[in-house]
Amino acid sequence: MTAFVLTLVGAALAVGLELLEALAIVLAVGSARRPRDAVWGAVGAVVLLAIVVIVVGPFVLARLPLDALHVVIGTALLLFGLEWLRKGVLRLAGRRSPSNSFQEYLEEREALEGMAPPEPGRPDWPARVVAGKGVLLEGVEVVLIVAALGAGPDGLAPAVAGAAVAVLLVIGIGVALHRPLMRLPESHLKFAVGIVLSSFGVFFLGEGLSVEWPGGDAALLYVAATLLAVSWGQVFALVREPVAAA
Amino acid sequence: MRALRKLVLGETVALPVGVALVVAAGLVCEAVAGSWWEDAGGFVLLALVVAVLAVSLAPAHRRR
Repeated sequence: MTAFVLTLVGAALAVGLELLEALAIVLAVGSARRPRDAVWGAVGAVVLLAIVVIVVGPFVLARLPLDALHVVIGTALLLFGLEWLRKGVLRLAGRRSPSNSFQEYLEEREALEGMAPPEPGRPDWPARVVAGKGVLLEGVEVVLIVAALGAGPDGLAPAVAGAAVAVLLVIGIGVALHRPLMRLPESHLKFAVGIVLSSFGVFFLGEGLSVEWPGGDAALLYVAATLLAVSWGQVFALVREPVAAA
Repeated sequence: MRALRKLVLGETVALPVGVALVVAAGLVCEAVAGSWWEDAGGFVLLALVVAVLAVSLAPAHRRR
């Protein structure tokens, strides 16, 4: 039950935040250029990702033994999770600007407005490429996170359910346009996702390396608690240290 | 290309290098350690991961 809930919440948060970043780019392309081209770019990226998942997924699952798969997944989750956690610590300590998809939207829009306008009646390839690249890069992270969390003891169900919740939420935000982007505490959410992904990373790596976790799946809780305590300790230490004037 | 590099390596090489060292240390311990690894190996991995996180944040501490 512990692993199921943590997987569902972790997948929903991680996928939601990645999709928000993709949405910010697609909205920026749609408002600065033409919405139709932004959607074409995004759809193209989703189709490309789906093909890669359908072709590569079963091949990897069939060839790799379970222990090796756990090591690979644990390593991938640690790479993602620790990066999110490091940035989260720096943001909460005030050493890095807060994460803000609305700001990304404004910056992307400003960059696109500097480009030559599209010719009427012809495809706007620069806009499609920008939207497609944004969705592809964030989408790769979504696929890796869902696939990795789906290797847990409860299988793909909680990871896919969490991702589905995230998709619905992000589509809702997209329909309501960009206002909600400004209100989300993204820095805190990304910090939390960093804790969850890193905890699963340590757990799976241990499983793949023949470790018997005391307490079974409940080990996720004390691993997460340890990472949370250490990370908050780093935040407090950084907040207390004076920053040199540039 | 820069976006792809950032996606794969992140913003600092300390994390991918650190995680690679943790995995390598785990593989070695699994191969050579006795039964203690099965019981306590998880805590060793957790300690190593905490150390990697601390090392990746060290530049921020030095920037005083």
